[in-house]
Amino acid sequence: MDKPIIEISGLKNFLGGQWVHSDVNLTVKKGEILAIIGGSGSGKTTLLRSILMLQEPSAGRIHVFGEDVLSIDEADANEIRKRWGMLFQHSALFSALTVAENIMFPMKELTTLDSQFMRELAMLKLALVGLSKETAGKLPSELSGGMQRRAAAARAIAMDPELLFLDEPTSGLDPLSAKKFDELILFLRDTLNLTVVVISHDIESLKRTTDRVAFVGKGKIISVEPIEDLMNNKNPLIQDYFSKA
Amino acid sequence: MAMIMDKPLANLNYDSDEKRYICEGNWAIQMVSELQSSLIPSTLPRATSLTISGKDLLHFDSAGALCLFNFITDLRKNENQVELIDFNEQQQALLSIIEEKQADLKYIPSPPEKHSLLYNLGKETITKLGQAQGLTAMIGDIAYKLLSAIHHIKRLHVPSIIATVYNTGVTALPIVALLSFLIGVVLSYQMGLQLETYGANIFIAYISGMAIFREFSPLITAIIVAGRTSSAFTAQIGSMKINEEIDALYTMGLSPTELLVIPRVIGLLIVFPLLIFWSVFFATLGAMFMSKAMLDVGYFDFLSRLQDSVGIKQLLLGLYKAPAFAILIAIVGCYQGMLVQASADSVGRQTTKSVVQALFLIIVADAVYSIIYSWLGI
Repeated sequence: MDKPIIEISGLKNFLGGQWVHSDVNLTVKKGEILAIIGGSGSGKTTLLRSILMLQEPSAGRIHVFGEDVLSIDEADANEIRKRWGMLFQHSALFSALTVAENIMFPMKELTTLDSQFMRELAMLKLALVGLSKETAGKLPSELSGGMQRRAAAARAIAMDPELLFLDEPTSGLDPLSAKKFDELILFLRDTLNLTVVVISHDIESLKRTTDRVAFVGKGKIISVEPIEDLMNNKNPLIQDYFSKA
Repeated sequence: MAMIMDKPLANLNYDSDEKRYICEGNWAIQMVSELQSSLIPSTLPRATSLTISGKDLLHFDSAGALCLFNFITDLRKNENQVELIDFNEQQQALLSIIEEKQADLKYIPSPPEKHSLLYNLGKETITKLGQAQGLTAMIGDIAYKLLSAIHHIKRLHVPSIIATVYNTGVTALPIVALLSFLIGVVLSYQMGLQLETYGANIFIAYISGMAIFREFSPLITAIIVAGRTSSAFTAQIGSMKINEEIDALYTMGLSPTELLVIPRVIGLLIVFPLLIFWSVFFATLGAMFMSKAMLDVGYFDFLSRLQDSVGIKQLLLGLYKAPAFAILIAIVGCYQGMLVQASADSVGRQTTKSVVQALFLIIVADAVYSIIYSWLGI
């Protein structure tokens, strides 16, 4: 039970003619909300993409749910993919499908549920992320940015993942929506027993939601600690980051 | 995947002594369809006081919760008293959310409204009229911007024109050459079959020359360019539109027509006659080779006959079509690009439309040219 959900060691990434990561070591524990922060271009998204198997790292080891994701075959990889959900920065909802169809899409493709149950489950996810039932029949383009983010979150939790990735979930949201979205994340973590990895720049949001924060800089994880401790960290890079904010 | 395999399956047992249902194992989304189809009993007790125990649950996600909730609802319908025991706080929270929202779960989004034939006909008419208006406005805009650009050569955006010439002309040379050559071969083969029976072999130069110069080369070039370029214009401008680049130009007080459409129109106007000439050259070459191989008409005979009987005049009649085709293809491509809405579907739809409309208009324009030529008796 207490085995870490994600274990990364010695991760290196060479991209666009430079080393984005030189030596990344990170452990994510079950049930925690861990944030990854760092300056622009410090390789937060690359790190996330490496974990998500969207990008092959140059060197290093990544274990997710105890499996080495760099050496497993495609079938096992797909089993892992069924157990996580990702909320992309720009929502990445399928523009041709309605919100309900978007949420039902992974269920349709990956399970044998009957359609009545699937629809009810999709409506439940909508209710969980706090969207009204009328939203179900709408197309993503008919929703505001904040609602799209919520709909994308509903799709990310469609398969009841154990692990949820969020890429800048509150960027572009007004403070109230951002606060509500944070409450949603906490609520989902508590009801669905999720482990959450989030990339964020929003200090307020980090204070509200995270258990630990990993600071990425100079190709390494400089420090992993609760946000209050991190803000008092004497490392010049970290000091610099928070002085800007 | 040892870990997943080891996970015990979901189960629902009934303890008849204690009148208790016991949920066991993994009530997770992967298990739910099995639970529903075989594990949940179809014959339910009636008017009994039941308990459901969640003590042996290992994993209980929202799909499992919804499944259990549906089961409880069925039990209650049979006038049973149901009490939940040994569910932890989190599991109860999940179940109570479902109970709270149960009315919403049955909601089915209303299907898109269906309209009568008359309504659709009217709507389509308005859309088409709107498009015709938009196209006309764009042509007007192009003309106006061109006229005002006469005094300011900088506003013609020569680098963009050169880029268009390169992308639509230079890169199209190999495919135009190959297809024209093949058309020339096929054409003279088909005609040669007929001419041979009359022993009129030398007429192959006249007949294939006329067909290639006047019809085949302009048309085959136009078809290739419509397929390559009109779709490219639509996709380029369409993705700029989705990316709000067009709006960015408007907010800077710049005109997308001037910056995006006019360079493409002028570029294609420059390159189109050259492409037709290129096509004529290779089609004639193909016809010449085939005449030699099949009808034994020598290269010199073929060419001198071509010069005497067909001549430059017929070549020009073909080249006169170039401006019309170029303008049609460029404007249709750009206009369809401007119509793209913010969805991946839309780019595909408008690109298809742009190619189909460009081909349609080319054939219509070709027919108009034929009518005009026949009026003029040439």
